[in-house]
Amino acid sequence: MSNYLELLKEFIKTDFQLRYKNSYLGLIWIVLKPLALFGVIYTVFSNIMAMDDDYMMSLLLGIMFITFFSEGVMMGLGSLMAKSGIILKIKFPREIVVFSSVTIGFIDFLINMIVFAVFTLFTPVVITLPSLLLFLVAIFSFYFLIMGMSLFLSVMFIKLRDLHNLMQVVLQLFFWATPIYYKLEMLPEKMQGIILLNPLTKILIAVRHGLITGGDVGLKDFISLAPITLVCILILFLGILFFRNKVTKIAEYF
Amino acid sequence: MEQKPIIQVKNLKKSFFLPHQRHDSLVEFLSNPLRLFKPAGEQFTVLKDIDLDIHQGEFVGIMGRNGSGKSTLLKIMAGIYTPTSGSVKVTGKMVPFLELGVGFNPELTGRENIYLNGIILGMPKDFLKKKYQEIVEFSELEKFMDMPLKNYSSGMQVRLAFSIAIMADADIYILDEVLAVGDLAFQKKCFDVFRNYKEQRKTLVLVTHSPASVREFCDRAVFLKDGVLQIDGSVDEVVKAYEVG
Repeated sequence: MSNYLELLKEFIKTDFQLRYKNSYLGLIWIVLKPLALFGVIYTVFSNIMAMDDDYMMSLLLGIMFITFFSEGVMMGLGSLMAKSGIILKIKFPREIVVFSSVTIGFIDFLINMIVFAVFTLFTPVVITLPSLLLFLVAIFSFYFLIMGMSLFLSVMFIKLRDLHNLMQVVLQLFFWATPIYYKLEMLPEKMQGIILLNPLTKILIAVRHGLITGGDVGLKDFISLAPITLVCILILFLGILFFRNKVTKIAEYF
Repeated sequence: MEQKPIIQVKNLKKSFFLPHQRHDSLVEFLSNPLRLFKPAGEQFTVLKDIDLDIHQGEFVGIMGRNGSGKSTLLKIMAGIYTPTSGSVKVTGKMVPFLELGVGFNPELTGRENIYLNGIILGMPKDFLKKKYQEIVEFSELEKFMDMPLKNYSSGMQVRLAFSIAIMADADIYILDEVLAVGDLAFQKKCFDVFRNYKEQRKTLVLVTHSPASVREFCDRAVFLKDGVLQIDGSVDEVVKAYEVG
Protein backbone atom coordinates (compact mmCIF):
# COMPACT_ATOMS: atom_id res chain seq x y z
CA MET A 1 0.00 0.00 0.00
CA SER A 2 2.67 2.49 1.02
CA ASN A 3 4.55 1.61 -2.14
CA TYR A 4 1.55 2.62 -4.23
CA LEU A 5 1.55 5.95 -2.43
CA GLU A 6 5.19 6.35 -3.40
CA LEU A 7 4.34 5.43 -6.97
CA LEU A 8 1.63 8.10 -6.98
CA LYS A 9 4.10 10.66 -5.64
CA GLU A 10 6.72 9.64 -8.19
CA PHE A 11 4.26 9.94 -11.10
CA ILE A 12 3.15 13.37 -9.89
CA LYS A 13 6.73 14.53 -9.44
CA THR A 14 8.09 13.37 -12.77
CA ASP A 15 5.07 14.34 -14.85
CA PHE A 16 5.03 17.74 -13.22
CA GLN A 17 8.71 18.24 -14.06
CA LEU A 18 8.45 16.89 -17.55
CA ARG A 19 5.51 18.90 -18.79
CA TYR A 20 7.41 22.03 -19.64
CA LYS A 21 10.84 20.47 -20.04
CA ASN A 22 12.81 22.02 -22.89
CA SER A 23 10.70 25.17 -22.92
CA TYR A 24 12.42 28.41 -21.94
CA LEU A 25 9.80 29.62 -19.49
CA GLY A 26 9.23 26.18 -18.04
CA LEU A 27 6.87 26.04 -15.10
CA ILE A 28 6.12 29.76 -15.44
CA TRP A 29 3.64 28.72 -18.13
CA ILE A 30 1.41 27.37 -15.37
CA VAL A 31 0.63 30.91 -14.27
CA LEU A 32 1.29 32.62 -17.58
CA LYS A 33 -1.48 30.88 -19.49
CA PRO A 34 -4.36 31.90 -17.20
CA LEU A 35 -2.87 35.36 -16.75
CA ALA A 36 -2.67 35.90 -20.49
CA LEU A 37 -6.28 34.84 -20.93
CA PHE A 38 -7.20 37.17 -18.09
CA GLY A 39 -5.34 40.02 -19.77
CA VAL A 40 -7.15 39.50 -23.06
CA ILE A 41 -10.63 39.27 -21.59
CA TYR A 42 -10.02 42.10 -19.17
CA THR A 43 -8.80 44.40 -21.94
CA VAL A 44 -11.74 43.61 -24.17
CA PHE A 45 -14.43 43.91 -21.52
CA SER A 46 -13.08 46.92 -19.68
CA ASN A 47 -13.48 48.79 -22.94
CA ILE A 48 -17.06 47.65 -23.39
CA MET A 49 -18.43 48.29 -19.94
CA ALA A 50 -17.65 49.83 -16.59
CA MET A 51 -15.86 47.52 -14.21
CA ASP A 52 -15.25 47.52 -10.52
CA ASP A 53 -12.45 45.83 -8.59
CA ASP A 54 -14.72 42.94 -7.64
CA TYR A 55 -15.31 42.19 -11.29
CA MET A 56 -11.62 42.11 -11.99
CA MET A 57 -10.92 39.70 -9.16
CA SER A 58 -13.97 37.59 -10.08
CA LEU A 59 -12.71 37.32 -13.62
CA LEU A 60 -9.21 36.35 -12.50
CA LEU A 61 -10.48 33.73 -10.10
CA GLY A 62 -12.99 32.46 -12.65
CA ILE A 63 -10.28 31.94 -15.25
CA MET A 64 -8.06 30.08 -12.80
CA PHE A 65 -11.07 27.98 -11.85
CA ILE A 66 -11.99 27.01 -15.40
CA THR A 67 -8.35 26.39 -16.27
CA PHE A 68 -8.22 23.82 -13.48
CA PHE A 69 -11.30 22.19 -14.95
CA SER A 70 -10.18 22.03 -18.56
CA GLU A 71 -6.57 21.07 -17.87
CA GLY A 72 -7.58 18.57 -15.19
CA VAL A 73 -10.16 16.89 -17.39
CA MET A 74 -7.89 16.77 -20.44
CA MET A 75 -4.93 15.40 -18.49
CA GLY A 76 -7.20 12.89 -16.76
CA LEU A 77 -8.67 11.80 -20.08
CA GLY A 78 -5.28 11.06 -21.58
CA SER A 79 -3.75 9.62 -18.42
CA LEU A 80 -4.24 5.90 -19.06
CA MET A 81 -3.15 6.25 -22.65
CA ALA A 82 -0.06 8.21 -21.69
CA LYS A 83 1.02 5.46 -19.32
CA SER A 84 0.15 2.55 -21.59
CA GLY A 85 3.81 1.53 -21.81
CA ILE A 86 3.94 0.96 -18.08
CA ILE A 87 0.46 -0.51 -17.79
CA LEU A 88 1.36 -3.19 -20.35
CA LYS A 89 4.38 -4.30 -18.33
CA ILE A 90 3.67 -3.91 -14.64
CA LYS A 91 0.70 -4.64 -12.44
CA PHE A 92 -0.35 -1.84 -10.12
CA PRO A 93 -3.66 -0.14 -9.30
CA ARG A 94 -4.44 1.75 -12.51
CA GLU A 95 -6.33 4.48 -10.63
CA ILE A 96 -2.94 5.88 -9.67
CA VAL A 97 -2.30 7.29 -13.15
CA VAL A 98 -5.64 9.11 -13.18
CA PHE A 99 -5.16 10.40 -9.63
CA SER A 100 -1.71 11.70 -10.45
CA SER A 101 -2.80 13.53 -13.62
CA VAL A 102 -5.76 15.24 -11.99
CA THR A 103 -3.68 16.11 -8.96
CA ILE A 104 -1.16 17.85 -11.20
CA GLY A 105 -4.05 20.01 -12.40
CA PHE A 106 -4.89 20.69 -8.77
CA ILE A 107 -1.31 21.66 -7.95
CA ASP A 108 -1.37 24.05 -10.92
CA PHE A 109 -4.51 25.59 -9.48
CA LEU A 110 -2.87 26.01 -6.07
CA ILE A 111 0.11 27.70 -7.72
CA ASN A 112 -2.31 30.04 -9.47
CA MET A 113 -3.84 30.77 -6.08
CA ILE A 114 -0.49 32.29 -5.09
CA VAL A 115 -0.78 34.67 -8.03
CA PHE A 116 -4.31 35.44 -6.91
CA ALA A 117 -2.99 36.18 -3.43
CA VAL A 118 -0.50 38.63 -4.92
CA PHE A 119 -3.36 40.42 -6.71
CA THR A 120 -5.25 40.77 -3.43
CA LEU A 121 -2.38 42.89 -2.10
CA PHE A 122 -3.45 45.61 -4.53
CA THR A 123 -7.16 44.97 -4.74
CA PRO A 124 -9.01 44.46 -1.49
CA VAL A 125 -10.98 41.26 -0.96
CA VAL A 126 -12.85 40.05 2.08
CA ILE A 127 -11.89 36.64 3.41
CA THR A 128 -13.11 35.33 6.74
CA LEU A 129 -12.68 31.99 8.43
CA PRO A 130 -16.14 30.70 7.39
CA SER A 131 -15.61 31.98 3.86
CA LEU A 132 -12.28 30.19 3.61
CA LEU A 133 -14.01 27.03 4.74
CA LEU A 134 -16.68 27.54 2.06
CA PHE A 135 -13.91 27.90 -0.53
CA LEU A 136 -12.24 24.69 0.62
CA VAL A 137 -15.47 22.71 0.51
CA ALA A 138 -16.21 24.06 -2.96
CA ILE A 139 -12.75 23.45 -4.38
CA PHE A 140 -12.52 19.91 -3.04
CA SER A 141 -15.96 19.13 -4.45
CA PHE A 142 -14.62 20.42 -7.74
CA TYR A 143 -11.52 18.23 -7.44
CA PHE A 144 -13.74 15.19 -6.83
CA LEU A 145 -15.90 16.09 -9.82
CA ILE A 146 -12.89 16.36 -12.12
CA MET A 147 -11.49 13.12 -10.74
CA GLY A 148 -14.82 11.32 -11.22
CA MET A 149 -15.17 12.57 -14.80
CA SER A 150 -11.57 11.60 -15.56
CA LEU A 151 -12.10 8.07 -14.30
CA PHE A 152 -14.91 7.66 -16.83
CA LEU A 153 -13.21 9.49 -19.66
CA SER A 154 -9.78 7.85 -19.36
CA VAL A 155 -11.25 4.38 -19.85
CA MET A 156 -13.63 5.43 -22.62
CA PHE A 157 -10.87 7.24 -24.44
CA ILE A 158 -9.00 3.97 -25.01
CA LYS A 159 -11.86 2.69 -27.13
CA LEU A 160 -13.20 5.95 -28.49
CA ARG A 161 -10.36 8.14 -29.62
CA ASP A 162 -12.65 10.95 -30.75
CA LEU A 163 -13.27 11.75 -27.13
CA HIS A 164 -10.21 13.98 -27.11
CA ASN A 165 -11.62 16.30 -29.76
CA LEU A 166 -15.15 16.02 -28.46
CA MET A 167 -14.09 17.06 -24.98
CA GLN A 168 -12.29 20.11 -26.28
CA VAL A 169 -15.60 21.29 -27.71
CA VAL A 170 -17.46 20.36 -24.54
CA LEU A 171 -14.93 22.29 -22.47
CA GLN A 172 -15.47 25.35 -24.67
CA LEU A 173 -19.16 24.98 -23.95
CA PHE A 174 -18.47 24.86 -20.23
CA PHE A 175 -16.33 27.96 -20.53
CA TRP A 176 -19.21 29.96 -21.99
CA ALA A 177 -21.91 28.35 -19.87
CA THR A 178 -20.18 29.30 -16.63
CA PRO A 179 -20.30 32.92 -15.47
CA ILE A 180 -16.60 33.59 -15.79
CA TYR A 181 -16.37 36.82 -17.75
CA TYR A 182 -19.96 37.88 -17.18
CA LYS A 183 -22.06 38.19 -14.07
CA LEU A 184 -25.01 35.92 -13.63
CA GLU A 185 -27.23 38.93 -12.86
CA MET A 186 -26.48 40.44 -16.27
CA LEU A 187 -28.44 37.66 -17.98
CA PRO A 188 -32.19 37.54 -18.57
CA GLU A 189 -33.92 35.49 -15.92
CA LYS A 190 -34.65 32.53 -18.18
CA MET A 191 -31.02 32.33 -19.17
CA GLN A 192 -29.94 32.48 -15.52
CA GLY A 193 -31.97 29.36 -14.81
CA ILE A 194 -30.16 27.48 -17.56
CA ILE A 195 -26.71 28.62 -16.47
CA LEU A 196 -27.51 27.61 -12.90
CA LEU A 197 -28.15 24.05 -14.08
CA ASN A 198 -24.46 23.84 -14.79
CA PRO A 199 -22.90 22.50 -11.58
CA LEU A 200 -19.77 24.53 -12.28
CA THR A 201 -21.78 27.72 -11.84
CA LYS A 202 -22.71 26.98 -8.26
CA ILE A 203 -19.23 25.80 -7.38
CA LEU A 204 -17.74 28.95 -8.88
CA ILE A 205 -20.22 31.14 -7.00
CA ALA A 206 -19.14 29.49 -3.76
CA VAL A 207 -15.45 29.82 -4.67
CA ARG A 208 -15.86 33.55 -5.36
CA HIS A 209 -17.99 34.07 -2.31
CA GLY A 210 -15.26 32.39 -0.30
CA LEU A 211 -12.29 34.33 -1.61
CA ILE A 212 -13.62 37.71 -2.74
CA THR A 213 -16.82 38.71 -0.99
CA GLY A 214 -16.55 36.59 2.12
CA GLY A 215 -18.08 39.07 4.54
CA ASP A 216 -21.51 37.50 4.78
CA VAL A 217 -20.78 33.79 4.39
CA GLY A 218 -23.15 31.84 6.59
CA LEU A 219 -24.80 28.50 7.00
CA LYS A 220 -27.11 29.14 4.04
CA ASP A 221 -24.17 29.18 1.66
CA PHE A 222 -23.03 25.77 2.84
CA ILE A 223 -26.57 24.45 2.59
CA SER A 224 -26.95 25.67 -0.96
CA LEU A 225 -23.60 24.11 -1.90
CA ALA A 226 -24.34 20.80 -0.18
CA PRO A 227 -26.36 19.17 -3.01
CA ILE A 228 -23.59 19.99 -5.50
CA THR A 229 -20.95 18.56 -3.18
CA LEU A 230 -23.01 15.39 -2.88
CA VAL A 231 -23.35 15.15 -6.66
CA CYS A 232 -19.58 15.53 -7.03
CA ILE A 233 -18.92 12.79 -4.49
CA LEU A 234 -21.48 10.59 -6.21
CA ILE A 235 -19.81 11.11 -9.60
CA LEU A 236 -16.45 10.25 -8.06
CA PHE A 237 -17.92 7.13 -6.50
CA LEU A 238 -19.56 6.03 -9.75
CA GLY A 239 -16.35 6.84 -11.58
CA ILE A 240 -14.39 4.54 -9.29
CA LEU A 241 -16.92 1.73 -9.77
CA PHE A 242 -16.93 2.14 -13.55
CA PHE A 243 -13.16 2.35 -13.66
CA ARG A 244 -12.59 -0.73 -11.49
CA ASN A 245 -15.06 -2.68 -13.55
CA LYS A 246 -13.60 -1.78 -16.94
CA VAL A 247 -9.93 -1.35 -16.28
CA THR A 248 -9.00 -5.02 -15.76
CA LYS A 249 -9.22 -5.56 -19.49
CA ILE A 250 -7.73 -2.28 -20.52
CA ALA A 251 -4.29 -3.67 -21.32
CA GLU A 252 -5.81 -5.61 -24.20
CA TYR A 253 -7.18 -2.55 -25.93
CA PHE A 254 -4.18 -0.28 -26.24
CA MET B 1 7.81 -34.93 -0.27
CA GLU B 2 5.80 -33.14 -2.92
CA GLN B 3 5.85 -29.40 -2.41
CA LYS B 4 3.00 -27.13 -3.37
CA PRO B 5 3.74 -25.33 -6.63
CA ILE B 6 4.64 -21.67 -6.39
CA ILE B 7 3.00 -20.97 -9.74
CA GLN B 8 -0.03 -23.02 -10.61
CA VAL B 9 -1.57 -22.66 -14.05
CA LYS B 10 -4.76 -24.62 -14.44
CA ASN B 11 -6.81 -25.10 -17.58
CA LEU B 12 -5.78 -21.68 -18.75
CA LYS B 13 -7.41 -20.33 -21.84
CA LYS B 14 -6.93 -16.89 -23.27
CA SER B 15 -8.60 -15.44 -26.29
CA PHE B 16 -8.49 -11.95 -27.64
CA PHE B 17 -11.21 -10.24 -29.52
CA LEU B 18 -10.01 -9.12 -32.90
CA PRO B 19 -12.36 -6.65 -34.50
CA HIS B 20 -12.54 -6.87 -38.26
CA GLN B 21 -12.39 -3.16 -38.42
CA ARG B 22 -11.67 -0.78 -35.60
CA HIS B 23 -14.68 1.23 -34.55
CA ASP B 24 -13.14 4.06 -32.72
CA SER B 25 -14.37 7.13 -34.44
CA LEU B 26 -17.47 9.01 -33.51
CA VAL B 27 -19.10 8.94 -36.94
CA GLU B 28 -18.95 5.17 -37.01
CA PHE B 29 -20.23 5.03 -33.48
CA LEU B 30 -23.16 7.31 -34.28
CA SER B 31 -23.96 5.49 -37.50
CA ASN B 32 -24.68 2.42 -35.43
CA PRO B 33 -24.28 2.93 -31.69
CA LEU B 34 -25.04 -0.68 -30.87
CA ARG B 35 -21.93 -1.78 -32.70
CA LEU B 36 -19.84 -0.37 -29.89
CA PHE B 37 -21.22 -3.09 -27.70
CA LYS B 38 -21.31 -5.78 -30.34
CA PRO B 39 -18.71 -4.98 -32.95
CA ALA B 40 -18.02 -7.36 -35.78
CA GLY B 41 -14.99 -9.49 -35.22
CA GLU B 42 -13.78 -12.84 -34.06
CA GLN B 43 -12.28 -14.46 -31.02
CA PHE B 44 -8.71 -15.43 -31.49
CA THR B 45 -7.52 -18.06 -29.06
CA VAL B 46 -3.93 -17.50 -28.05
CA LEU B 47 -3.63 -20.06 -25.27
CA LYS B 48 -5.53 -23.33 -25.05
CA ASP B 49 -5.88 -25.46 -21.93
CA ILE B 50 -2.52 -24.73 -20.42
CA ASP B 51 -1.61 -26.69 -17.31
CA LEU B 52 1.70 -25.88 -15.73
CA ASP B 53 3.08 -26.25 -12.22
CA ILE B 54 6.28 -24.50 -11.26
CA HIS B 55 7.92 -25.21 -7.94
CA GLN B 56 10.16 -23.10 -5.80
CA GLY B 57 13.76 -23.09 -6.91
CA GLU B 58 12.99 -24.17 -10.44
CA PHE B 59 14.33 -22.37 -13.49
CA VAL B 60 11.86 -22.98 -16.26
CA GLY B 61 12.45 -22.02 -19.87
CA ILE B 62 9.57 -21.37 -22.21
CA MET B 63 10.30 -21.80 -25.90
CA GLY B 64 8.24 -21.58 -29.04
CA ARG B 65 8.02 -19.71 -32.30
CA ASN B 66 6.81 -16.12 -32.57
CA GLY B 67 3.11 -15.90 -31.88
CA SER B 68 2.95 -19.19 -30.02
CA GLY B 69 1.65 -17.47 -26.89
CA LYS B 70 4.78 -17.27 -24.73
CA SER B 71 4.54 -13.61 -23.89
CA THR B 72 0.81 -13.79 -23.33
CA LEU B 73 1.39 -16.57 -20.83
CA LEU B 74 3.94 -14.44 -19.00
CA LYS B 75 1.63 -11.44 -18.99
CA ILE B 76 -1.14 -13.50 -17.44
CA MET B 77 1.28 -14.77 -14.80
CA ALA B 78 2.27 -11.16 -14.13
CA GLY B 79 -1.39 -10.16 -13.74
CA ILE B 80 -1.48 -7.80 -16.71
CA TYR B 81 -3.95 -9.82 -18.73
CA THR B 82 -6.83 -11.69 -17.16
CA PRO B 83 -7.50 -15.31 -18.16
CA THR B 84 -10.53 -15.95 -20.36
CA SER B 85 -11.07 -19.13 -18.37
CA GLY B 86 -9.05 -21.23 -16.01
CA SER B 87 -6.78 -19.84 -13.37
CA VAL B 88 -3.26 -18.80 -12.52
CA LYS B 89 -2.22 -18.90 -8.90
CA VAL B 90 1.01 -17.32 -7.80
CA THR B 91 2.29 -17.70 -4.24
CA GLY B 92 5.00 -15.30 -3.20
CA LYS B 93 6.37 -12.02 -4.41
CA MET B 94 6.85 -11.77 -8.13
CA VAL B 95 8.77 -9.20 -10.14
CA PRO B 96 8.13 -9.24 -13.86
CA PHE B 97 10.90 -8.17 -16.24
CA LEU B 98 8.77 -8.17 -19.35
CA GLU B 99 10.84 -5.31 -20.55
CA LEU B 100 13.84 -3.56 -19.06
CA GLY B 101 13.56 0.05 -18.03
CA VAL B 102 9.78 0.30 -17.77
CA GLY B 103 8.82 3.95 -17.46
CA PHE B 104 12.29 5.21 -18.35
CA ASN B 105 12.09 8.75 -19.53
CA PRO B 106 14.72 10.11 -21.94
CA GLU B 107 14.46 13.62 -20.50
CA LEU B 108 15.26 12.58 -16.94
CA THR B 109 18.77 11.98 -15.68
CA GLY B 110 20.14 8.54 -14.94
CA ARG B 111 19.70 9.18 -11.24
CA GLU B 112 16.06 10.25 -11.60
CA ASN B 113 15.35 7.26 -13.80
CA ILE B 114 16.76 4.90 -11.20
CA TYR B 115 14.18 6.12 -8.69
CA LEU B 116 11.33 6.24 -11.19
CA ASN B 117 11.94 2.78 -12.59
CA GLY B 118 12.72 1.29 -9.17
CA ILE B 119 9.50 2.56 -7.66
CA ILE B 120 7.53 1.31 -10.67
CA LEU B 121 9.08 -2.10 -10.07
CA GLY B 122 7.76 -1.96 -6.52
CA MET B 123 10.87 -1.00 -4.59
CA PRO B 124 10.40 1.50 -1.74
CA LYS B 125 12.24 4.78 -2.11
CA ASP B 126 14.26 4.34 1.08
CA PHE B 127 15.42 0.98 -0.16
CA LEU B 128 16.50 2.55 -3.46
CA LYS B 129 18.42 5.23 -1.64
CA LYS B 130 20.34 2.55 0.21
CA LYS B 131 20.96 0.56 -2.93
CA TYR B 132 21.70 3.53 -5.14
CA GLN B 133 25.48 3.19 -4.97
CA GLU B 134 25.27 -0.51 -5.64
CA ILE B 135 23.08 0.04 -8.69
CA VAL B 136 25.42 2.64 -10.11
CA GLU B 137 28.49 0.50 -9.51
CA PHE B 138 26.94 -2.53 -11.12
CA SER B 139 25.96 -0.52 -14.18
CA GLU B 140 29.48 0.99 -14.40
CA LEU B 141 27.90 4.32 -15.30
CA GLU B 142 29.14 6.45 -12.38
CA LYS B 143 30.11 9.33 -14.64
CA PHE B 144 26.78 9.58 -16.39
CA MET B 145 24.31 9.72 -13.51
CA ASP B 146 23.51 13.42 -13.90
CA MET B 147 23.15 13.24 -17.65
CA PRO B 148 19.75 12.89 -19.30
CA LEU B 149 19.02 9.38 -20.43
CA LYS B 150 18.59 10.50 -24.03
CA ASN B 151 22.36 11.03 -24.20
CA TYR B 152 23.04 7.42 -23.21
CA SER B 153 23.78 4.84 -25.84
CA SER B 154 21.17 2.09 -26.02
CA GLY B 155 23.66 -0.33 -24.48
CA MET B 156 24.14 2.00 -21.53
CA GLN B 157 20.40 2.34 -21.10
CA VAL B 158 19.82 -1.40 -20.83
CA ARG B 159 22.78 -1.73 -18.51
CA LEU B 160 21.25 0.82 -16.18
CA ALA B 161 17.85 -0.82 -16.47
CA PHE B 162 19.27 -4.24 -15.73
CA SER B 163 21.18 -2.96 -12.72
CA ILE B 164 17.98 -1.55 -11.23
CA ALA B 165 15.90 -4.61 -12.00
CA ILE B 166 18.19 -7.04 -10.21
CA MET B 167 17.84 -5.08 -6.97
CA ALA B 168 14.20 -6.11 -6.77
CA ASP B 169 13.94 -8.70 -4.07
CA ALA B 170 11.40 -11.30 -5.04
CA ASP B 171 10.71 -15.01 -4.86
CA ILE B 172 9.78 -15.30 -8.51
CA TYR B 173 11.26 -13.55 -11.50
CA ILE B 174 9.62 -13.55 -14.88
CA LEU B 175 11.86 -12.71 -17.79
CA ASP B 176 10.90 -12.03 -21.35
CA GLU B 177 14.11 -12.13 -23.38
CA VAL B 178 16.04 -10.02 -20.91
CA LEU B 179 18.56 -12.53 -19.71
CA ALA B 180 21.80 -10.78 -20.55
CA VAL B 181 22.44 -7.34 -21.91
CA GLY B 182 25.34 -5.11 -22.83
CA ASP B 183 28.79 -6.14 -23.99
CA LEU B 184 30.44 -9.45 -23.29
CA ALA B 185 31.89 -8.39 -19.95
CA PHE B 186 28.55 -7.08 -18.75
CA GLN B 187 26.72 -10.17 -19.96
CA LYS B 188 29.03 -12.22 -17.80
CA LYS B 189 27.95 -10.18 -14.79
CA CYS B 190 24.30 -10.72 -15.70
CA PHE B 191 24.80 -14.46 -15.83
CA ASP B 192 26.48 -14.35 -12.43
CA VAL B 193 23.40 -12.67 -11.03
CA PHE B 194 21.19 -15.50 -12.24
CA ARG B 195 23.57 -18.13 -10.90
CA ASN B 196 23.29 -16.35 -7.61
CA TYR B 197 19.49 -16.48 -7.79
CA LYS B 198 19.75 -20.18 -8.34
CA GLU B 199 21.84 -20.67 -5.24
CA GLN B 200 19.27 -18.71 -3.26
CA ARG B 201 16.55 -21.04 -4.55
CA LYS B 202 14.66 -18.29 -6.31
CA THR B 203 12.20 -19.27 -8.99
CA LEU B 204 12.66 -18.07 -12.52
CA VAL B 205 10.50 -18.30 -15.61
CA LEU B 206 12.30 -17.41 -18.77
CA VAL B 207 11.05 -16.87 -22.29
CA THR B 208 13.86 -17.04 -24.76
CA HIS B 209 14.87 -17.99 -28.26
CA SER B 210 18.35 -18.93 -27.23
CA PRO B 211 18.89 -22.69 -26.79
CA ALA B 212 22.23 -21.91 -25.18
CA SER B 213 20.70 -19.94 -22.30
CA VAL B 214 18.05 -22.57 -21.71
CA ARG B 215 20.73 -25.28 -21.64
CA GLU B 216 22.86 -23.20 -19.30
CA PHE B 217 20.25 -22.19 -16.76
CA CYS B 218 17.04 -24.15 -16.93
CA ASP B 219 16.28 -27.40 -15.17
CA ARG B 220 13.15 -27.79 -17.12
CA ALA B 221 11.54 -26.38 -20.20
CA VAL B 222 8.19 -26.21 -21.90
CA PHE B 223 7.42 -25.90 -25.56
CA LEU B 224 4.47 -23.92 -26.83
CA LYS B 225 3.07 -24.30 -30.31
CA ASP B 226 0.02 -22.37 -31.51
CA GLY B 227 -1.11 -21.79 -27.96
CA VAL B 228 -0.85 -25.42 -26.93
CA LEU B 229 1.64 -26.63 -24.39
CA GLN B 230 3.12 -29.48 -26.39
CA ILE B 231 6.05 -30.52 -24.28
CA ASP B 232 6.67 -30.13 -20.57
CA GLY B 233 9.88 -31.90 -19.87
CA SER B 234 13.61 -31.86 -20.18
CA VAL B 235 15.61 -29.05 -21.70
CA ASP B 236 17.00 -31.34 -24.40
CA GLU B 237 13.58 -32.42 -25.54
CA VAL B 238 12.31 -28.86 -25.80
CA VAL B 239 15.37 -27.46 -27.53
CA LYS B 240 15.15 -30.27 -30.07
CA ALA B 241 11.49 -29.50 -30.73
CA TYR B 242 12.25 -25.79 -31.02
CA GLU B 243 15.03 -26.43 -33.53
CA VAL B 244 12.73 -28.57 -35.64
CA GLY B 245 10.11 -25.79 -35.48
